[in-house]
Amino acid sequence: MDLTKEQLAEMYTNLVRARKLDELIVKALQTGKAMGFFHSGQGEEAVGIGGASFLRDDDYLYPHHRGHGIAFFLARGISPKEWVARHYGKRLVEAPEGPTMEERGIFGLAGTIGGMFPLATGWALACKKNSRQQVVVCFFGDGSSNRGTLHEAMNLASVWKLPVVWACDNNLYAQFTPLKDAYAREDVADLAPSYNMPSVVVDGQDVLAVHEAIQAAVARARAGEGPSLVEVKTYRYRAHAEGMPDVSHADPRPKEELEAWKKRDPVKLFREKLVKSGALTQGEADRIDKETDAEMEALDKLAMDSPYPEVTDPSILDSLLYSE
Amino acid sequence: MREITYIQAINEALAEELRRDEKVFVIGEDIQLGAFGATTGLVKEFGPERIMDTPISETVVAGCAVGAAMTGYRPVADFMFADFMYVAADEIFLRAAKWRFIHGGTVKLPLVFMAAMGGYARIGAEHSQSPVSYYLHTPGLKVVVPSTPYDAKGLMKTAIRDNNPVVYFYHKILLGTPGQIPEEEYTIPLGKADIKREGTDVTVVATGFQVHSALAVAAELEGKISVEVIDPRSLEPLDMDTIVQSVKKTGRAVVVDEDTKRCGIAGEIAMQIFERAFDDLDAPVQRVAAANYPIPGGMLESAVLPQAADIKAAIEAVVA
Repeated sequence: MDLTKEQLAEMYTNLVRARKLDELIVKALQTGKAMGFFHSGQGEEAVGIGGASFLRDDDYLYPHHRGHGIAFFLARGISPKEWVARHYGKRLVEAPEGPTMEERGIFGLAGTIGGMFPLATGWALACKKNSRQQVVVCFFGDGSSNRGTLHEAMNLASVWKLPVVWACDNNLYAQFTPLKDAYAREDVADLAPSYNMPSVVVDGQDVLAVHEAIQAAVARARAGEGPSLVEVKTYRYRAHAEGMPDVSHADPRPKEELEAWKKRDPVKLFREKLVKSGALTQGEADRIDKETDAEMEALDKLAMDSPYPEVTDPSILDSLLYSE
Repeated sequence: MREITYIQAINEALAEELRRDEKVFVIGEDIQLGAFGATTGLVKEFGPERIMDTPISETVVAGCAVGAAMTGYRPVADFMFADFMYVAADEIFLRAAKWRFIHGGTVKLPLVFMAAMGGYARIGAEHSQSPVSYYLHTPGLKVVVPSTPYDAKGLMKTAIRDNNPVVYFYHKILLGTPGQIPEEEYTIPLGKADIKREGTDVTVVATGFQVHSALAVAAELEGKISVEVIDPRSLEPLDMDTIVQSVKKTGRAVVVDEDTKRCGIAGEIAMQIFERAFDDLDAPVQRVAAANYPIPGGMLESAVLPQAADIKAAIEAVVA
């Protein structure tokens, strides 16, 4: 896994952007600028940046819902403008530059947990049929691993040797329920032998470890050797969703747990590693942080200055319901 | 013209579309042999890569269809019994029905969910339903319910070519029903009702097997009551214009549905008749549908599913 200096800098930049974009939406919700739900992904950014960087452009990806997928979108080179505007309830007047979600193999996020498994199997089946060596990377949470859809999908994907990487973002909690009370083993990766596929458990705070594990599984899938399971151990810093209590069952989550994980913050760890190895100087890293702050200010302004969608023509609903 | 059966018609439609478009494939449990014959023999011509037998895994069968459709394939997912589709509710009602809409039209879902529906085989509550109302209650899904070999073939071909999810329910009691179809290729548009019998005294709206019951009753009443039988053929889109036009002529209407009466399509069509033709009605519209119970197995089935005698009684009540 030889990443160039430029690629390493890109990953660091996106890691910082993912963190700051998450913080931007949290703050926007708190100040009444944003609307709707937000499921913060702070603490878990290395999963998306490590997992979704440097795939092939035509690979398919199901992002994990933490941070509403932002780390994954950034890793795929998708502008965050639309993402920010939508959280503010706004409509961009001009489409942002760069690829759309669809052009990078992202069709959307399901509102139900566990719905990604059957969908990703369908994409992987299409990849196998069209013989273009495309791969599907399907992220799911530890909570999703409790769904029966996992069994149906992992079983069939292995029987048919489909090119899919099952990637578990295990942050130890499914909303309020700790995994230890919802799953009979400790590692989700332990499911893999049942489906006759290899698995690996990686440190989700180490963006390069995540990247390496996913890339190895992707290479295997691309070579026609079938699915793999990668489990990424991580932790979410904030409550399941903004405005919700941060609990384990009905009691507050242990403070020591959060503090221990924060010591291994993925952004901090990667910065230290890059500076230590000489891939990035302290000054370059500072400049990236500063430029990202400026980007956040501009994104906030863009969203604030953009209009709310106005429905003057209800026939838009008809045009969305069915395709011609 | 030549004569084939209802199930042969479906089989022919699948074969023709598989031949016509390499993006079409069929996926489901035991479809290479085929439980009802809809897919029987297709594997010989198209191979196991396009006639795909799966494990008993309805959610992933539906997911394969939805996922592959998003990437440009035209899958036909076969669920054997309509009752089994509940297992894949998330994939059908949330993904297939809503993903085009919620993603601003960027996602295209050209796929068919097919299954055998219907009762009168006395095989119990979980193998006898005609659960059209659930799908009709979910915007984003089209629903097709053919009653004849001609309709079954033409509508299946259209369903496969449609760029949206189409639920195609064929009736298991009609499998061997013969009918005439043209030698040459044809399709039937969705949303176009067919007048199966012309009449002047009362309009009977029915789909699937109920069309045959209604036609039998109409023949029995010939000389006494002139019955017009309309088969909408697709319930979404629904050709209300043809129904309303008929009711304006006859002044009376009976709506027949094999699904549970409560919140069913019979109530919906009856209400639309009231909304659009109230002044033309000489009597309140009558509904004939399955009673509000699970469908019992064995002999008790007849106490719940609509019978020809119920249709006859309803016709006599509206013309009285």
